[in-house]
This record gives sequence, structure tokens and C-alpha cells, in this order.
Amino acid sequence: MLYDKHGPALVAYACSFVTDAGAAEDVVHQVFLRLLSGPVQTPDVPVAYVYRAVRNAALNERRSGQKDAPLDLDSSVFKRGDGNREAALALQHALAELPEEQREVVVMRVWSGMTLEEVAAATGAPLNTVASRYRYALGKLREKLQPYRKK
Amino acid sequence: MENHDEQFEKYLSEFEPRRPRALPQPAIDRQTRLRRFAAAAAIGAFLGASVWFAWKEQAGQKAANIANNGTVASREQTPRRALSTVELTRLAVENPSGLDAALEAAQENRLPRFDRKDSVLRILAENDLGGEKEK
Repeated sequence: MLYDKHGPALVAYACSFVTDAGAAEDVVHQVFLRLLSGPVQTPDVPVAYVYRAVRNAALNERRSGQKDAPLDLDSSVFKRGDGNREAALALQHALAELPEEQREVVVMRVWSGMTLEEVAAATGAPLNTVASRYRYALGKLREKLQPYRKK
Repeated sequence: MENHDEQFEKYLSEFEPRRPRALPQPAIDRQTRLRRFAAAAAIGAFLGASVWFAWKEQAGQKAANIANNGTVASREQTPRRALSTVELTRLAVENPSGLDAALEAAQENRLPRFDRKDSVLRILAENDLGGEKEK
């Protein structure tokens, strides 16, 4: 099911808009409940549709007061097997600082497990554009996470 | 560079995003109920159609047997069932003597029997006749 496969990635994606893991979860819930509750025209690429819907819902949520909520350690959307919470938070910050289209590509590729071709189909952007967005995004993330990788 | 990216990609994938809590039960139930209902309806329709076709085939075979043999199978051998108008018409056209036999059999099935010794009708009739004689 779409929810099981892409749910965690969508929460991470939503979290980059609302800066609170709980609110991000709520946003993803909201979107899936809406999908399940009524007749929705099935789009050609459902993953892309869900990403768009989550983005819109997250932006609405942010507009309704979450915008400046400070991040705290408990609200981290990522976790690592080695328990490095600082790195997890740093990643969350770094993702939130990426331009939206780069962030989308990274989340779809790394945590939704989509190929760049699939991301291109989902976003409607040319493959070359998607590939360069991805490369730029990785470069920025690498730079931001460098101190934590050495630990 | 490619290899560099792959390594970093692997590093990133070690961060696990929080798994969202399960969807509320009613939302799943509605979907599941709809699917189950559709499956049950499909199975019901399939079984109904199968039974109907089997019944039709059996009825056709029985009519054909009657037409071919010119006799009606004995009451012990076949279940009692009235022939349809279509079957009787076909018998009348194809095998008039078979029709007589079929009508006779149908009559036996439809009218209460009174030719056996233990027939309730026969006992009643005899009682009635006895009463009249006494009068």
C-alpha cells in the first residue's frame, strides 16, 4: 500500500515544511484519510499526487501557526541506528533549508526508493534537471552533515 | 564522483524517517468492508449462475430421456419435478407418445395418490362410502 511504502518518506517531506514531526504525521494522515474517504480521481502517477497533496496540506498547516515553531530533539523526524540524534536533527535542518524542488527529489530518491526516472515522471521535470537537482542537493547535504559523519 | 554520491546516498538512507502511526481503523474498515462485500457479491453471482446452469442442463437431459425412451422413469428413480410448458411442447412435437408418458407422470406427481392401500385419501374415501352405505 502507498501508505506503508511512502509513509515515512512523506512524513520526512512534510516535516521540512512544518518543522514538527507530530504535525507532519498529522498532515500525512489527513491526506490519506481524504484519499480513503471519498471518490478521488486516480491520477496517472499516484505517488506524485500524494507528494503534491502532502506539500499543500503541510503549507496550509504552516500558515495556520506552525511556521516559527522551534525544533526540539523530541520532534526529530529521523533516527539513526547508532542513536546519533544530533546528526538526525542536522539532517532535518539541512533538508528544510534546501530549495523545495531539490528537497523533493532527495526525499523521493533516498527514502521513497524511487529511481531518478520515476522522480522525473512524478515531478514532470526532465530527467537531466532532476539529476542535477539531486546532485546539487547531495552536495549541500554532504557539506552540512560533514561534521557528524566524522564522529 | 558517482561513487562518492553513492556512498553519501547510503549514509543518508541510514537515517530512518519516523514511521507514521497506523491509519484510524474505520478508514481501513470502510475500504475492507467494500472489498469484502464486492468479493462476496461476485462469489454469490458465480455460484448462483453455476447452480442455475446445472439445473437447466439437468432439466434438458431429463426431457431428452423422456423423449427418447417414451417412458417416464419410475417414481423411485427420479425426483418429482413438473415439466415446463416448453419441455412439454417440445415433447408434443418430437415424440407424442413420450408426451403421454410425461403427462401421466406429471399427473402422478401433482395429484394426491389414492391407489395404494395405505393412502390417506383412499381410507377417507372408503370411510365416506361406508358411512353412506350405513345410511
